[in-house]
Amino acid sequence: MQGRGKLIGIIAVIVIAVAAVFGYLQFQKSQEGAAGKKIALSNNYAGNSWRQSMLKSWDKVTKKAVADGVVAEATAFTTSENQVTEQAAQIQNLILQGYDAIVLNAASPDALNGAVKEACDAGIVVVSFDGIVTEPCAWRIAVDFAKMGEVQLDYLNEKMPNGGNLLEIRGLAGVFVDDEIHKGIEAGVKKYSQFKVVGSVHGDWTQTVAQKAVAGVLPSLPEVAAVVTQGGDGYGAAQAFKAASRPTPLIIMGNRQDELAWWKEQKDASGYETMSVSIAPGVSTLAFWVAQQILDGKEVPKDMIVPFLRIDQANLESSLANTEQGGVANVEYTLEDAQKVIAAAK
Amino acid sequence: MNALAARLGNKPWLLSFAGAFAVWLATILFTEGKGGGEMITAALSFATFTVIVGIGQMFVITTGPGNVDLSIPSTIALAGGVAMKIMGGQDSLIWFGLLACIGAGLAVGAFNYALIRLLKIPPIIATLSSSLIVMSVAISYGRGLQIKPPPSFADFTTAQISGVPVLSICAILFAIAMAIILERTIYGRATLAIGQNVRVAHLAGVKVERARCITYLMSAAFAGLCGALLAGFSGGNALNMGEEYLLATIAVVVIGGTSVAGGRANVPGIWGAALFLYLLVTMLNTYGASAGIRLVLTGLIIIAMITLAGGDKPSR
Repeated sequence: MQGRGKLIGIIAVIVIAVAAVFGYLQFQKSQEGAAGKKIALSNNYAGNSWRQSMLKSWDKVTKKAVADGVVAEATAFTTSENQVTEQAAQIQNLILQGYDAIVLNAASPDALNGAVKEACDAGIVVVSFDGIVTEPCAWRIAVDFAKMGEVQLDYLNEKMPNGGNLLEIRGLAGVFVDDEIHKGIEAGVKKYSQFKVVGSVHGDWTQTVAQKAVAGVLPSLPEVAAVVTQGGDGYGAAQAFKAASRPTPLIIMGNRQDELAWWKEQKDASGYETMSVSIAPGVSTLAFWVAQQILDGKEVPKDMIVPFLRIDQANLESSLANTEQGGVANVEYTLEDAQKVIAAAK
Repeated sequence: MNALAARLGNKPWLLSFAGAFAVWLATILFTEGKGGGEMITAALSFATFTVIVGIGQMFVITTGPGNVDLSIPSTIALAGGVAMKIMGGQDSLIWFGLLACIGAGLAVGAFNYALIRLLKIPPIIATLSSSLIVMSVAISYGRGLQIKPPPSFADFTTAQISGVPVLSICAILFAIAMAIILERTIYGRATLAIGQNVRVAHLAGVKVERARCITYLMSAAFAGLCGALLAGFSGGNALNMGEEYLLATIAVVVIGGTSVAGGRANVPGIWGAALFLYLLVTMLNTYGASAGIRLVLTGLIIIAMITLAGGDKPSR
């Protein structure tokens, strides 16, 4: 009887000791902040140059962060088919694998909300960027796409006070981003009534599709003064104008290297002027640092805005020199940049 | 009316050309005759690519129900990348680039056929899964970077002789050659026979597997060639440049009067259908229809065309 009591006593001491040590380790871990935490990137698509640059920037910045001991792990996962169901399953896997934060470029703004909620409930920090999610528990690093449309008209108003006919190249029909940029362009045209949109085609943000669509509609259009775009379509438009032997209008570019190279060629040959605006694919690294800050216990507002990467006549050469052949003009963000974006949102 | 239907029944390709003409007419009526010629030039140059891959798809579909090549878009992406990388912007390497893109296509075709034959995977699944693998290869091969074509190659792919693209002339000759292969060679007749009834064809001494192998190799090789030409035409390769050709190839095959059930093929119809599809989008763009209406109308018109072209005669 006594022996058993002793045994129970010993076991109890052992259990308490183990619990205490474990608890201390946990406590220490939480004290460490983001170091020792695991971050995953859930990405829905990799099939274009922008996404490739995005993944490359992620790789570059996070590898260094892991080597410096800022976080324990930062792995990128990409779904193969750009499907909501596939990405939802991927997020569930990431929950099971015990990641502390998921940085998310989502296939849909609302269809992933269920999976995102599950992750939040499991105590995981979810930071969505570029393709953001509406689930309130997630953080959002959004792009002001409407503004991206509007700045094009602001620029045109400056360059062409007398106005003229515009051709609008839109993105992929039915996608939120396309609607937003279009709204911005519409608002700009309303503001500067000297401009008139005489044609509108969908270029799907793809050079070949844009070229095809523009070549089709061009014969029926009057003289076009400028082309407003959404990125990835400017060079295709230029090719279509050239093939139809029409005078090259002012085409707004979207930071792709082929677009910048073409612009440079025209600039050298004839003093061609335009501007280029898009989001740097390195925004994935901004999202990484934001996630790191949240894990570090900093207070971060749920909604933040990504700065545009704008290229003008003056910084064309330097931007082009820094852009990989066939890639997209890019910047990688630092911890300080992320802190600035967080502060701006407060 | 009956006579018209009978004539269309005999020559289903007439319908797609008639459709293309009607759509063109409707467009230039709207623009009051402006730009009609340029529109045809543009239609010819873009239809060329659809025709090249469409003919490959036609042979595949002709081999019977369930046969379709879904790996075309990623083959275009891979071969475009391979060709541009090998040409490296140098005129002297154009021929190597062209051989390489066809070689890349043949490799994909052989892989597809191996999946279908050795692992007995249904063609839809086999080509779909191989398309994922091929796309991954394309991504890691080119890392999404765009390479410019050599100047002479770009000039060749965009050259025109009094408004007619040179590439389109080549594609018309190519289509004629393929029509002869379909109608006059043992391989062509075998493909048609397999599509009508595999068992009967086999019993009649048709080398079924050889014909199917050639078919998948051809489809992928054409996709590879198209990838290089497309990259030359649009000033560089891109990973997503083949995306639109998945549905487009199936649509032109069916609208062109080829039976989805197999066993009945039509080469000229592919030209008509490719022109029709391009001019249809041009017409809706010219009318300024919104994206929603444009998509709904495109869908409805394609359904109408298919019903007119092939709905009357179920496969015998």
